Amino acid sequence: MSLVNLTVNGRAISANIEPRQHLGDFLRENLLLTATHLGCEHGVCGACTVLIDGAPARSCIAFPAALEGARITTLEGLADDPVAAELREAFTVEHGLQCGFCTPGMLMMARDIVLRRPGAGEEAIRHELAGNLCRCTGYVGIVRAVESVAARHAGAAPVVTRGTEVAPSAFVSPLTLPVAGTLVSKQAQDAVTPKAAPAASADISFETLHNPVRMTQHFEVPAPLGEVWNVFQQPEKVVACLPGARLTAPTDGRSFEAEMGVKLGPMAATFRGAGTIMADEATLSGIIRGQGVDGRSASRVRAELTYRLAPLQDGSATAVAVEIAYELKGPLAQMSRGTIARDLAGRLTEIFAANLAAALTGVPAASKPAALDGGALFLAMLKGFFLRLFRRG
Amino acid sequence: MKAARFDYHRPADLTAALTGLGAAGGKPLSGGQSLGPMLNLRLARPAALVDVGRLAELRRVEERADGVLYGAAITHAEIEDGAVPDPTGGILPAIASGIAYRAVRNRGTMGGSLAHADPAADWPTTLAALGAIIHLTALTGPRESRVPDLIRGAFDTTLEEGEIISGIFVPRLSPDARWGYRKSCRKVGEFAEAMAAVLIDPPRNIARLVIGATETRHLVLEGRDIEDSAVLDAALAGIGIAADPARARLFRAVVADALSAAQTSHVSA
Ligand SMILES: Cc1cc2nc3c(=O)[nH]c(=O)nc-3n(C[C@H](O)[C@H](O)[C@H](O)COP(=O)(O)OP(=O)(O)OC[C@H]3O[C@@H](n4cnc5c(N)ncnc54)[C@H](O)[C@@H]3O)c2cc1C
Ligand code: FES
Ligand code: FES
Repeated sequence: MSLVNLTVNGRAISANIEPRQHLGDFLRENLLLTATHLGCEHGVCGACTVLIDGAPARSCIAFPAALEGARITTLEGLADDPVAAELREAFTVEHGLQCGFCTPGMLMMARDIVLRRPGAGEEAIRHELAGNLCRCTGYVGIVRAVESVAARHAGAAPVVTRGTEVAPSAFVSPLTLPVAGTLVSKQAQDAVTPKAAPAASADISFETLHNPVRMTQHFEVPAPLGEVWNVFQQPEKVVACLPGARLTAPTDGRSFEAEMGVKLGPMAATFRGAGTIMADEATLSGIIRGQGVDGRSASRVRAELTYRLAPLQDGSATAVAVEIAYELKGPLAQMSRGTIARDLAGRLTEIFAANLAAALTGVPAASKPAALDGGALFLAMLKGFFLRLFRRG
Repeated sequence: MKAARFDYHRPADLTAALTGLGAAGGKPLSGGQSLGPMLNLRLARPAALVDVGRLAELRRVEERADGVLYGAAITHAEIEDGAVPDPTGGILPAIASGIAYRAVRNRGTMGGSLAHADPAADWPTTLAALGAIIHLTALTGPRESRVPDLIRGAFDTTLEEGEIISGIFVPRLSPDARWGYRKSCRKVGEFAEAMAAVLIDPPRNIARLVIGATETRHLVLEGRDIEDSAVLDAALAGIGIAADPARARLFRAVVADALSAAQTSHVSA
């Protein structure tokens, strides 16, 4: 808990706040100021927009613990604001809302646009409002409403709202008085790591991957075909070649349960899940499928690794072709936009091939990490990549 | 969608911040516009955040004859609004105004954007093209780096544990420098799917093309290479973009647009 002093809608507030509580939750849950809506909670939708020191900001990704001394204005605090009053009227006239979920954020942004860009036209307003999503109106009414108010202010001197004072409104919701800002201490509560239930392999249903990222890699292993084939039939061996991965349960040779850690800069996920191995000896090929969930971020990964072997030279070496298709969903895909792993494919395959060769020849893999641009981060990203490949696979 | 528990520290000065970061699990917090989402999505679970966003050392701006040194915690909006000097004749404010949305720009910082190293972010590509020098500080002392050396891959930098970005020096452009910048986004304020920046500054002997949103490190071409489509194709192939014809076409188009913008648009330095 940190003791934080803030001014909210003109009133001084001191409260003990958990650093992890974001401003939107603090306003709604501790101060009962529920005009601030929470949609996405990761900065994308704009529903939670409030003014911090006069300028609009996302309250879902601002933490009161880091806002010591800041002045916060919520929509309640704009009850008497002249521009907000004009906007309310215009939103009514132009049908600028239906369900009203986006409206508090829209009004916050709209007030800023009118002040900062008086006279702004439709195009400018659409650009400025691009960070506020509305599921209902189709935006036409909202844009018209803002345009009509901005037009009335045309010619006014632009005001950069950063650092400006917002006069507190006379109206204060009785619910919010007196403001105590108390929080039940959750100290006693142990940090519980949700256990991702690894799907028992029997329950795994492998749907086709939708629009997966696909890549193909070829490499050679200095071992006869039969030995390489055998490795691919043993989940524990395949998994051991993947950096950062391990089996979480004994395998029957056809299905497996495993986990794999991924690190992407500051982001980290541990996928746990299950997979199956299918092989067709006649065509010297097979498919390893898997899927996993990161219990903490709820990111999901599904992958399919198709391999095909061919004898090389006098039979002392084997050519391996792998096609990897994977699909990453959830928060990690959102933050990394799902495709980041692609550029690691080559280097990961290098590690995999090296590990595979080492496993087959008994020689420990040369410490590839150093050659791979250094840094545990990078190595960890490689793991992630494989993870994606194999986790599902 | 709630962050896991973390401790929060607001050190009084830079030395205290660096010392605080040395403590186990500490991560710098600047504007929180990338870290906030990662915390809420529980993709990042640092034990502690060390707030560097309000450190005086990271909030100062120093105008010099040859350029401007920005503290790392200068926000996108401050640059957009011209609240700080600009040695690029309008390039920096224009780029800033195209980042995310105003509510994000009010808090997001240049230093945070570089440290986050999203390949599709606007500052890394822009600052690489402008030849910015990144100032880094750790308890062991300061060092300087160029963007292409700082960012070695997607979300991956050469920042050491406990090291922070303290400032960004942007060199002053010649009066007849030319600039082109294009990005392709599905929606205003979304991260780009392809981006390119071109700086042509003959008196300073610079012709540079930087390609971002590559999903890996930036591509940097210099001199004659920037107009050479064979070199471009090879570079795109080298990072796997050629494998997807639609993406390769998009990158070629964005590069061509940026190049032609740089033929015509003189910066007003
Ligand atoms: C909806 C949305 C859309 C966006 N769209 C775009 C866009 O189109 N283009 C774009 O470029 N950006 C975009 N961004 C990102 C935005 O620009 C962020 O502000 C920026 O990437 C991070 O800056 P920050 O100051 O908020 O850093 P923070 O979120 O505080 O930190 C980001 C990372 O950098 C580290 N860090 C911060 N400061 C330092 C420092 N001084 N030294 C070392 N490490 C440090 C942190 O530990 C963290 O890992 C968007 C963000 C959102 C929420
Ligand atoms: S809830 Fe904050 S931006 Fe969506
Ligand atoms: S009115 Fe329903 S989301 Fe905008």
